[in-house]
Amino acid sequence: MQLKQLANISMALAAASCAALGQQAEAGTLLDDWQFNSAILLYNETDRVSAGEAILTARGDFGDDKYLNLGLVVDALTGASATGAVAQPYVQSFTRPSGRGSYDVAPGVTPLDDTFHDTRVQLDASWEQPLATNWRASGGGHLSKEYDYLSMGLNGSLARDFNQKNTTVSLGLGYSHDTISPEGGIATAFAPMLLRSDYADDSSYQAAFDATRDRADDTKDTLDVLLGLTQVINRNWLMQLNYSLSMADGYMTDPFKLVSVVNANGEVQQNLYENRPDQRTKHSVYWQNKLHLGGSYLDASYRYMWDDWELTSHTADLKWRLPMTDRWYVEPQFRYYQQSAAEFYQPFILQAEPLPQYVSADYRIGKMNTYTVGAKFGTKLAQGNELSFRIALYQQNPQNDRVAAPGVLANVELYEKVTAVMAQVSYSF
Amino acid sequence: MVAIAVNAGKNCTVGQFRAMASPCEILLEAPDMSLCRQLTQLAAAETERIEQKYSRYRRSSLLSQLNRNAGSWQTLDPETSQLLAFADSCYQLSDGLFDISSGILRRIWTFDGSDKLASQSKIDALLPHVGWDKVLRDTNRIMLPSAMELDLGGIAKEYAVDKVLQLLSQQFAADDLPSLVVNFGGDMRCSRPREDGTLWRIGIENPTLADQAISAVGLSKGALASSGDSRRFLLKDGTRYSHILHPKTGWPITDAPRSVTVAAPNCLLAGMLATTALLHGSHAEAFLQAQHCQYWLVM
Repeated sequence: MQLKQLANISMALAAASCAALGQQAEAGTLLDDWQFNSAILLYNETDRVSAGEAILTARGDFGDDKYLNLGLVVDALTGASATGAVAQPYVQSFTRPSGRGSYDVAPGVTPLDDTFHDTRVQLDASWEQPLATNWRASGGGHLSKEYDYLSMGLNGSLARDFNQKNTTVSLGLGYSHDTISPEGGIATAFAPMLLRSDYADDSSYQAAFDATRDRADDTKDTLDVLLGLTQVINRNWLMQLNYSLSMADGYMTDPFKLVSVVNANGEVQQNLYENRPDQRTKHSVYWQNKLHLGGSYLDASYRYMWDDWELTSHTADLKWRLPMTDRWYVEPQFRYYQQSAAEFYQPFILQAEPLPQYVSADYRIGKMNTYTVGAKFGTKLAQGNELSFRIALYQQNPQNDRVAAPGVLANVELYEKVTAVMAQVSYSF
Repeated sequence: MVAIAVNAGKNCTVGQFRAMASPCEILLEAPDMSLCRQLTQLAAAETERIEQKYSRYRRSSLLSQLNRNAGSWQTLDPETSQLLAFADSCYQLSDGLFDISSGILRRIWTFDGSDKLASQSKIDALLPHVGWDKVLRDTNRIMLPSAMELDLGGIAKEYAVDKVLQLLSQQFAADDLPSLVVNFGGDMRCSRPREDGTLWRIGIENPTLADQAISAVGLSKGALASSGDSRRFLLKDGTRYSHILHPKTGWPITDAPRSVTVAAPNCLLAGMLATTALLHGSHAEAFLQAQHCQYWLVM
């Protein structure tokens, strides 16, 4: 019975349909086309970094479930970013990371390096196809270039469907090799930031500056492993569980970041270039739920990340797509992120204490919470095209992790909040 | 007269009207509004003719007359004979799964998203009046046993797409045929590849989770039809009952994909393959694989 039901009846049905339509049998073909997604994103931090990003991705269907994915991202950053040095009740002078030129920071103001600008171009390509019944594989690579940074990588994945495609188990591997070559070279660990004004002439300053630099560039290798489980719970609920492991080896110090050495009264004696460990192993678990609730779609996810820098983080993200009219939908989003400080994070170094092996005053690896509140408005256009607008507020709140601020530091803001606005326009065609 | 609208679209001209409870579109590659208007008028008239003849919702339709005169022999016109011959082939080839006499079960099943299942006693009372094998036919006559009813809801729209495309194609000399698409609510057929070499990209509803509420497919020749229960269903104790009824049990299919889209040379065939796949419930994909056709499933 079962075998007979699943017999090929399409030839006989085709003949019957042609008879009903009073026409000759004919051949027909149907092909999936290329799908394109484009987006422009603008990001603006109050008084700090501004960024613009253009994204174009394309997905080509080559039949038999074979796809080619291509991506191009171009972004430009400009503005000022925190150097890691502490604010002081008087004017401070800083040398630019390249060693050429200097800038002053007003009393009570968090030192920002305002020469921060960069343009990045990234290319991605991957091919995916079935390997055998219920098996799929993909392989690809990326190339990303900015003025002082080059990243090249390869990735591959293998997925197996079970249980009538209701369960998918996947394994992904990625490797990337990054090279950083900052202008002016890479500073030796804990090299002092020198000031031209402390030297009699340019050549003696340059000789001293060069002595703080020991190489022109450095590299980092990263291996990523991802284990994923996707489960269809029922027609209205899709769940995904991922574990990922990322092992990085190489230069992970930020060559532009400083840490201030202060005396017992909180006054800066010297600013040193930071130094981070050259190994980092990160683990994360990610749990995502996509639910269809009476015409609306809810996407709720949670991520827990921990690493051997003793930085742990929790991320909760909630998006809810609600239909407004036949054509328009609104998707409010709320995201909350909380992290503990890396073990070598210190907002400053006390002069009286011995220099630690590693230190960074970069607020991005300090204790912090952030939240994002936003909404996306989208509409379906003719022929399956889609246009959407997204606006979001991103608030970063660095926290004091029980560090007592001596002397003058008690009266300056060491943990300045950063507010950013994001606007995005996307068009799929 | 059906109201039509003609607009310039992206790389095409679009004629629109409503019929058969669906938005209907005629897409013409050439930027010729007046030609598109003429074709859309022809299409709307032909669709109205088919709807008026085969709709079970219209008391004056030929189908309603056939049903009212159940119990006696009735003479059929050639078009209806051919259509019923196709329905017969579908019944035979699907081992009785596709049955145009099963529509009577809709008297007791209302797919309104609620949890109101029909009672087994009501189903048992109706089942003796279901079964295409009980219908007597000869060359151009039919004898529908009394209390039985035919419903061409599973065929009529796809048939109309094919007939409209046929009619529009007949307006042109063979080597002068423009690239046209007839799209009735996602059941569609294309006359020939576009002159500019690109594909017709047409959105089909995809009631899947999250981001892909609509996916676009490219069409150059042939037809595409969908069958599914994206809005018409019952839900009780966590089980989702699709609006596709099994003609032998009288119960809705429960383990079928949410929707099936099939590509085939004509729309009638594409629609039949999609509907028959759903009738196979959890074996829908295995059935489609055995047909060697291109298909898309939403689970």
